[in-house]
Amino acid sequence: MTQDRPDAPELLDALAEFLFADVRDWAPREKRFQVLVAANLCAVLARELRAGERPLREDLALLLELLGSSFTEAPQASELRQAVRAAERDLGERLRAGELDDRLDELQLRLREHVRRKLDVARPGYAAEL
Amino acid sequence: MATAPEQPEADGEADLAGGIAAVLAELGLASDTPRLTAIPGGASRQTLLVESGAGRFVLRRDPPGAEAPVSQEAEFGLIGLAGDAGVRVARPLHFEPHGGRFGTAGMLLEHVAGESLAPRLLRKPEYEVARGRLPEQLAEALAGVHSVDPVGAAELLPAAAGDPALDAIERWEAEFDAIGEPLPAIELGLRWLLRNRPEPAEPRLLHGDFRLGNFIVDEEGLAAVIDWELAHLGDPAEDIGWLCIRSWRFGNDDRRVAGLGDLESFLEAYANAGGSEIDLPRIRYWEVFANLKWAVICARQAHDHLTGSRRSHELASLGRRICEPEWDMLELM
Repeated sequence: MTQDRPDAPELLDALAEFLFADVRDWAPREKRFQVLVAANLCAVLARELRAGERPLREDLALLLELLGSSFTEAPQASELRQAVRAAERDLGERLRAGELDDRLDELQLRLREHVRRKLDVARPGYAAEL
Repeated sequence: MATAPEQPEADGEADLAGGIAAVLAELGLASDTPRLTAIPGGASRQTLLVESGAGRFVLRRDPPGAEAPVSQEAEFGLIGLAGDAGVRVARPLHFEPHGGRFGTAGMLLEHVAGESLAPRLLRKPEYEVARGRLPEQLAEALAGVHSVDPVGAAELLPAAAGDPALDAIERWEAEFDAIGEPLPAIELGLRWLLRNRPEPAEPRLLHGDFRLGNFIVDEEGLAAVIDWELAHLGDPAEDIGWLCIRSWRFGNDDRRVAGLGDLESFLEAYANAGGSEIDLPRIRYWEVFANLKWAVICARQAHDHLTGSRRSHELASLGRRICEPEWDMLELM
């Protein structure tokens, strides 16, 4: 079912603006930081929704490549998050077991792509700031 | 950090104020019933401002049902040792065990006036002089902490094995495993830390959370180092690495030490104050560790929200900040 506009990210933009530009001014001093956190979370969610499933698909491809496996069939959108988590867990377990010790430099380089995708939603610009 | 069943607060606020009044009288300080105000802050300790006829004090105690990594009694003793070594601390006045006059285990401390919030200290004009002095004062304070006789400190703390790096890795790997979140960058970090360990350092007393937020600062500079609940024995470079991570620069990214100064001058001041010579690769190693530790703490706090033990959007938001120290860790490795 299609909802009328504003769409979800647009609504989150509106909430973020209200919290940042209005609530912050009249919230008691000791609660202002929490209001800013709430405003920032709305902005994070808006970015996440706008990015869609593409970052998850890119992450899945990266993680499976690092694991040396490939999927025969791309998972449905509903199973995508689960597939990424399973691949993250697999890679973690193999690292812990020492099976990838001769590839740590490569992993250090490639996992930046994975972390950068998280930063693009959670804190854009962080990777470029230094 | 296990949580026992919530204890009924049979001893309410009135009983607590009465208990504090009795302790103050015993110390020859006052006998009137003090006014108590909660000071927001650390999650594993409850902090109250105590205002009585004899002046202001601070009460720190375990929140009902919680168990802190370092017991209140050990913390009380460690603050004393650090104070004796010349570190500016809020002087501990009295300790009561669980079930005593403070209800849960707790300690009464002298009150030190000043500001502890990092953004204010880094930006407000009235702290300009303090900002200039702090890097050197922090280096001196840390050298003082690390000069405490480790044998005396060891009597108050869990025993440390041979290699402080191995101890630190094992402790935070266990903490990470208890959360159960799949984070491949953290696994990579753990593996890297294990395989790149420096020569084991002689274990010393560490503050364990030495950063802006845990310093009381007035317009003249450092007034007290507070919040000793994460103190442990380890490599002195661990405290410096923690002080350097980007999260504790609060936006002043180009100033590696606490968002205030550069590392080379800090290490010089640290050595001048009696600290050992520490080389840069060792600091870098512990900065990698510190970023990993902060990422695990973020995951832990988000997990506390998700499991309902402490519901809060602020804790929840930390789950989306894990990637910041992960990134810095990958850059430093």
